[in-house]
Amino acid sequence: MTSELRQIDEVLWEIPASARPDMRVPARVFADRELLEAIKGDRSLEQLENVATLPGIVEAALAMPDIHQGYGFPVGGVAATQVPDGVVSPGGVGYDINCGVRLLALSLDEEGLGERREALVHEISRAIPAGTGKHGALRFRGEELDRVLVDGPHALVALGIGTDDDLEHTESSGCLPGADPAAVSERALSRGEGQVGTVGSGNHFIELQRVERILDAAAAEAFGLHEGQVTILIHSGSRGLGHQVCTDYVKLMDAAIARYEIHLPDRQLACAPQSSPEGEAYLAAMAAAANYAWANRHAMAHLVREAIGRILGKETAQATRQVYDVAHNVAKIEEHNGRRVCVHRKGATRAFPAGSPDIPADYRAVGQPVFIPGSMGTSSFVLAGAPGSMERSFGTTCHGAGRRLSRHAATRQIQGAELRRQLEAQGIVVRCPSNRGLAEEAPFAYKDVERVVDVVARAGLARPVAQLRPLGVVKG
Amino acid sequence: MYRWVEHTGELELSIEAPTETGVFAEALAALSQILGEEPGGEMARRELALSASDPPALLAEWLNELIFLAETESFVPEHVAELEISHSALHAVVEGRRGESPPLIKAVTYHKLELTEEDGSWRGRVVLDV
Repeated sequence: MTSELRQIDEVLWEIPASARPDMRVPARVFADRELLEAIKGDRSLEQLENVATLPGIVEAALAMPDIHQGYGFPVGGVAATQVPDGVVSPGGVGYDINCGVRLLALSLDEEGLGERREALVHEISRAIPAGTGKHGALRFRGEELDRVLVDGPHALVALGIGTDDDLEHTESSGCLPGADPAAVSERALSRGEGQVGTVGSGNHFIELQRVERILDAAAAEAFGLHEGQVTILIHSGSRGLGHQVCTDYVKLMDAAIARYEIHLPDRQLACAPQSSPEGEAYLAAMAAAANYAWANRHAMAHLVREAIGRILGKETAQATRQVYDVAHNVAKIEEHNGRRVCVHRKGATRAFPAGSPDIPADYRAVGQPVFIPGSMGTSSFVLAGAPGSMERSFGTTCHGAGRRLSRHAATRQIQGAELRRQLEAQGIVVRCPSNRGLAEEAPFAYKDVERVVDVVARAGLARPVAQLRPLGVVKG
Repeated sequence: MYRWVEHTGELELSIEAPTETGVFAEALAALSQILGEEPGGEMARRELALSASDPPALLAEWLNELIFLAETESFVPEHVAELEISHSALHAVVEGRRGESPPLIKAVTYHKLELTEEDGSWRGRVVLDV
């Protein structure tokens, strides 16, 4: 397996399709030598080879430098399958459909925030419920929930929640076409009724930050960012509704693969042709869940603005601008290298370059914003999509630092209470309902985010625009 | 007996038991360990009737149902009062408590999913998305 890994250039490695008889295309990894050694430490490359066996996959199965072992697809995996008869794989999108990040830029600097920092973090933690299954203040049922699934955050703006400017500064304007609530099970709908405006669990968070360093002045100006400015990064997804959509369709496709004569090395890769009844139904349900996730982050941003209003005043709340919102786990029909493909991004971010008609007009000269969260206690980065992404990675870049240690390994090395003390000693305010959950997300459990960003920059997939330093975190 | 196996991104559960029903009971015990971090709340019972395409998928279905009940009804399972498995279907009565469960598990995956019998011993393997 990995013995067949060969170097293509300074940050690209390839396992040829000949490495295994069932691989249809090569498997390629963006990494430097040090990241590659870490990647070899788990089974992510084997999982990437498995992805390369999917019927209809084109060019290569790709891995971003934050790749780590997942289930089915590795986290950080990208696969494009031909339209209309290549497969779509629910496991290739994941359970947290359209897990993603949204960046808000405040109108004041860290100095202006001053001693109100802790109060703001606390108020945000009170406003937005954290934890699996936690319900929020917004409840959508029946036709109201259907509208959220079809229109995403547009349905919320119609209710006076958020603004049209927020929608314009969201990937796909926060709404994938083709969403069909009838393709979403009753069980999924019941899980989604009360979770719009909730953060969830695991690695989800809301982080208060300071723009520490500007790395690309022109792009930073276009994104409305300057040194010292306060920002808020929101990381969440489609919650229980999305988890249930994936569960339902993995089960459905697992039962259907024999009918389509599909042979898979891993049951979690269960898939069906996009044009099949199962494929069409999944794409309609996935779009609905993706729209729900955008509505969730949109509602969270609204609740954050309300919290800002209570602590910093209405003017500051009204001046809080959404920089952008990007999806991490999604399958989208796009055109690349002259053909239409279904791009599966599992823990990876769309990163379209300057000139793309699919990014907001005010960013079109510099490229699509991309946000790469580090970990609690380390920097996050704002990047801009670069032309190399269209040439080499189906318009995609990485989505985070990537785990290095398992959750068990992290909790063996530090207790949540001790980590809380360490973070607070660094001046980072922490709000987290579970000490164990906190320890599982310890900074040392993640790869070096600066190295990951350096690789995607050297690969030409995206270029660094700004570095953000954490001031406080509300963890799911 | 169950144990958690090292997995970079998720939680991998490995189970050994003398019987098939024993694997299902151990799977519930493992889940209870996670969901029941903060005990309390009144006693509750749930009757479950589940089916799947094959026995390993039934094991995933079992855990998915318990996660669903924890999320939607705040039902934290503690032990199996009754459990009958026939082919790829089961009937069970589960006892537990109503209460807040800590935020952790999103779903049960089919990755490395396993339920096998060898030399009179049953083994199960499940990877949970967290």
